[in-house]
Amino acid sequence: MLSFALNAAFVMVGIAMLLGSWRVLVGPSLTDRVLALDTLYINSIALIVLFGIYLGTSMYFEAALLIALIGFVSTVAVAKYLLRGDIIE
Amino acid sequence: MEILLAIMIAVLTSCGIYLILRLRTFPVVVGLTLLSYAVNLFLFAMGRLTLNAPAVIGATDQYTDPLPQALVLTAIVIGFAMTAFLMALALRAWGEFGNDHVDGTAIPGSDGDDRR
Amino acid sequence: MSVLFAIVLLPLIAALLPRLVQSMGRSTVAIVTALPVLLALLLLLGTAPSVLVDGELLQAAVPWLPQAGLMLAFRLDGLAWLFALLILGIGLLVIVYGHYYLEKSDSGGRFFSLLLLFMAAMLGVVCSDNLLLLVVFWELTSISSFLLIGYWSGQAAARKGARMALTLTGAGGLALLAGVILIGQTVGSYDLGTVLASGDLIRSHALYPLMLVLVLLGVFTKSAQFPFHFWLPHAMSAPTPVSAYLHSATMVKAGVFLLARFYPALAGTDLWFVLVSSIGLVTLLLGAWMALFRHDLKGLLAYSTISHLGLITLLFGLSTRLAAVAAVFHVINHATFKASLFMAAGIIDHETGTRDIRKLGGLRRYLPHTMALATVASMAMAGVPLLNGFLSKEMFFAEAADTPLYGSLNWLVPTLATIAGMLSVAYSLRFVHDVFFGPVPAALVAHAPHEPRRLMRVPVEVLVLLCLAVGVFPAVVVGPLLAAAATATLGGELPEYSLAIWHGLNVPFLMSLLALTGGVAIYVWRAPLFALQRRWPRPHAPAIFEQAVQALVAVAGRFVRFIDNGALQRYVSWLMLPVALIMLAAMASRPDWLGEHALTPVDGLSILATIVAVLAALATVVLRRQRLVALLMISVVGLIVSLAFLRLSAPDLALTQLSVEVVTVLLLMLAMYFLPSRGVIESTWWDRSRDLFLSLSIGVGVGLLALFAMTHPGATISTFFIDNSIPGGGGANVVNVILVDFRGFDTLGEITVLAIAAAGIYALLENLGLCLPIYDPEGRPWAKDRSPLVLQMISRAVLPIALLVAMYILVRGHNMPGGGFIAGLITAVALVLQYVASGVHWVHARVPHNYHPLVAFGVLLAGLTGLASLLLGYPFLTSTFEYIYWPIVGKFELASAMLFDLGVYITVVGATLLILARLGKLSVVEQEEGN
Repeated sequence: MLSFALNAAFVMVGIAMLLGSWRVLVGPSLTDRVLALDTLYINSIALIVLFGIYLGTSMYFEAALLIALIGFVSTVAVAKYLLRGDIIE
Repeated sequence: MEILLAIMIAVLTSCGIYLILRLRTFPVVVGLTLLSYAVNLFLFAMGRLTLNAPAVIGATDQYTDPLPQALVLTAIVIGFAMTAFLMALALRAWGEFGNDHVDGTAIPGSDGDDRR
Repeated sequence: MSVLFAIVLLPLIAALLPRLVQSMGRSTVAIVTALPVLLALLLLLGTAPSVLVDGELLQAAVPWLPQAGLMLAFRLDGLAWLFALLILGIGLLVIVYGHYYLEKSDSGGRFFSLLLLFMAAMLGVVCSDNLLLLVVFWELTSISSFLLIGYWSGQAAARKGARMALTLTGAGGLALLAGVILIGQTVGSYDLGTVLASGDLIRSHALYPLMLVLVLLGVFTKSAQFPFHFWLPHAMSAPTPVSAYLHSATMVKAGVFLLARFYPALAGTDLWFVLVSSIGLVTLLLGAWMALFRHDLKGLLAYSTISHLGLITLLFGLSTRLAAVAAVFHVINHATFKASLFMAAGIIDHETGTRDIRKLGGLRRYLPHTMALATVASMAMAGVPLLNGFLSKEMFFAEAADTPLYGSLNWLVPTLATIAGMLSVAYSLRFVHDVFFGPVPAALVAHAPHEPRRLMRVPVEVLVLLCLAVGVFPAVVVGPLLAAAATATLGGELPEYSLAIWHGLNVPFLMSLLALTGGVAIYVWRAPLFALQRRWPRPHAPAIFEQAVQALVAVAGRFVRFIDNGALQRYVSWLMLPVALIMLAAMASRPDWLGEHALTPVDGLSILATIVAVLAALATVVLRRQRLVALLMISVVGLIVSLAFLRLSAPDLALTQLSVEVVTVLLLMLAMYFLPSRGVIESTWWDRSRDLFLSLSIGVGVGLLALFAMTHPGATISTFFIDNSIPGGGGANVVNVILVDFRGFDTLGEITVLAIAAAGIYALLENLGLCLPIYDPEGRPWAKDRSPLVLQMISRAVLPIALLVAMYILVRGHNMPGGGFIAGLITAVALVLQYVASGVHWVHARVPHNYHPLVAFGVLLAGLTGLASLLLGYPFLTSTFEYIYWPIVGKFELASAMLFDLGVYITVVGATLLILARLGKLSVVEQEEGN
């Protein structure tokens, strides 16, 4: 049961990443790309957690924690850049 | 998996070098970043690929080669320092020469990306 | 044998003294210079009974670089003893002479220091018992003579002459080094004794011609043999004591010394005979001919020296044992009379202010004493009986007449030898007659020259007396010395020879007679010869040399400019091309890229991720002009690289990559704001295809190489690290234990680099004024809100959580994925986030923001942790650990390596913040100035 759920989840996260990547690559607007990149980060968190469950180890969960904690900083910086140009002022 | 990684290394290297051969500072720095990814992956690959066997004693029954990992870990951080240094150099050159050509002197009649 | 070391090293150590006592007066300098030389000379004379009488070989050796065959080994046999005597004896006289010769304005300290240095180098050459050591001293003579020739560095001629001498003798020295290495490799030892005993081995070796030519190149350049002779006349711009010492008695003799030294090992073949004797013969004639027409006194002596060196070379080339004896004998004689003649020329120059023979004349009225000395010495040079020059020249004529080796041209050598003798008589006569006799030029009458100080003449007197003594009582005065030196040269039994003055009316005597009368005749009827010589087309050797040097420099310059024309693109391309070629060639030679090593299984997500990464990388290139988009693409690549590390069992790397990714993006975005983005012009088709070709070739090469490595089994040393991680380092996370324990020294170096890079960036951005763009790349004005409230609030909440996570990662790093590097990056990112959200002023009002001391503290902490183990008697950076029990937490491990990791953490935090905050502050400073 768990393995079926895992596989289904993997496929779904995979599709989500594929679509997110598609949006990052083709745009068309800059905002689209930024949001898609942020989504990719979120998807990665899910992927890592699924991966950990699949392997039955907690070894990789810190990576998910890290993405959750600081992954949004680049997005914030891009947003700030679009607004002000200078991100540290 | 080996083939996938080799393809990734090949593409990242090519893209990095192509960008390094551009004439304006920003693409060169971006190219250097790409090249560092490639080099890090390459060094890492020298330890051969192992799935699900991190080098943490007791976690699994077999371990991947930890030495390339230790090397690459510092290489990543030093790579950042190097990129930052190059960026500072580019900024300084921009401030001093008034252009962002890698040689510090724009060739008259062109402020392009690619023209030599 | 410590005496040997003392003889060689006394002048070397004493070379420091003259400059030190320079302020204590000129006499003190001269005495301080002379005393060690005198001491060394006495020590040398003390060894005379054992070396000269008993024929002992004194040796002393200390290993220097035994792995390379280099020993600090000295030997004192007859040959070395003879040369050491010349070097020290004439050196002492030259010091006395030089003291009176130098003007008050000349720096005596520098002069005598260099002279002593040269003396030590020469002693080293003649006393070396190791071929490599010999070359070392040989080069030292080139360098010190360069400095001595260029002593009056204010004169262009001196600089030029010095450079020419250095170029030629230096190049010869390199050839000699190559030759010596070949010999050493052939024999299997650089020990001189072994080499001299292996003559047959060397001569029968296939590479013997190469060895011989290389060694001879060294010899001929040093001893000013044709066609390398021209540096010697140009070296005459040196002070006269230097000429007397280097260019008559010692340095130019180093070449012929080498001929004598290697005589047992290299001589005895047809090649040796042809090369050495023909070069010697040509030099003998050419030098004598040129000497006749010189108007400069020292120039005349220089060409005469070239001629006499040619004579000695010719004698060694004739390859008979008697000829070698004659050569050694002539070395002694030439040194005595030529040094005294140089000194006499120096006195004339000193007293009249000119060395031009045309401006001199009738000096016997003013300098009667000097005249007497110079006349005797000149007669010795001409080979007049009862003087030393006669004896060795007689032996030379005898050998020349006896040479059967040129076949039907047997008459050639004796005839040419006689002609050379005539010329030698003629120029000797000119030296004496034109200078001391005849009418006094008007300019000189007004000048009214007078004899120099008594002591300045003493060295000349001593040398002239020796000429006479050897000439009259050869067997008594020089017999034992010559016998010992010749025995050492030949490396065996001495031939029968007689040092008598009168051998009866034989061929050599007739040749001498012919030379004397012919020489007088040439001198008397010299006018037509001079006219002929003026019309003679003369290839100007220095000009040719200069042109050759210029041409070489030009070619080198063009080549460098071709590769590195100042354009980075060109330079990098040239760097990449060989890389691509070598890699592709290597891969083509091993087409089994896919080895037998089992492939790890592939999953769909990995394929997907690879495709995305490849597309993102390509998009970075294609969309590079939309810089923000390129940056986003880079982020995608970075994210996938991190995921790849995770998938391939490298959680530490994934964590590091993720956090570095964030700071890199911040960094690039900061820079992007300042750097101009406008203006795109299409590049030429050719440039793009070249770059494309290069990058594709290297990419394919690297990819194949990686594939090759990954699919072939490889040996690893990591088993040790895995086995010893817990028992030795006290940590379960092997990657971290390697970083902070096994290879802690490397990590210390790396955080030092990080600190230096940060400091460098800080310095680079100091006082940098950049104009701030008013509009964004699309031409819209920036938003007004500096710090959006939502962003501020969220980021403040993140800070404590991030710090907590960072601490957690830091502390657990020893046993689980994590560690100082990652924790440092997390902390830095969290703090930079505050900068982004709330601005520099807000952060600096709340956080200590002087990051320099922080970086320094981090590096120091890591370094001190290592030093602590040193204090406790363990090697640097040895770690220790202990398990303690904390309430609640339970069993907890404390390792000294954790303190080290803390240092790493602090350095990373400090350096990252130093870099990013500095970049961020660029605009702040700007705005403050603007307001």
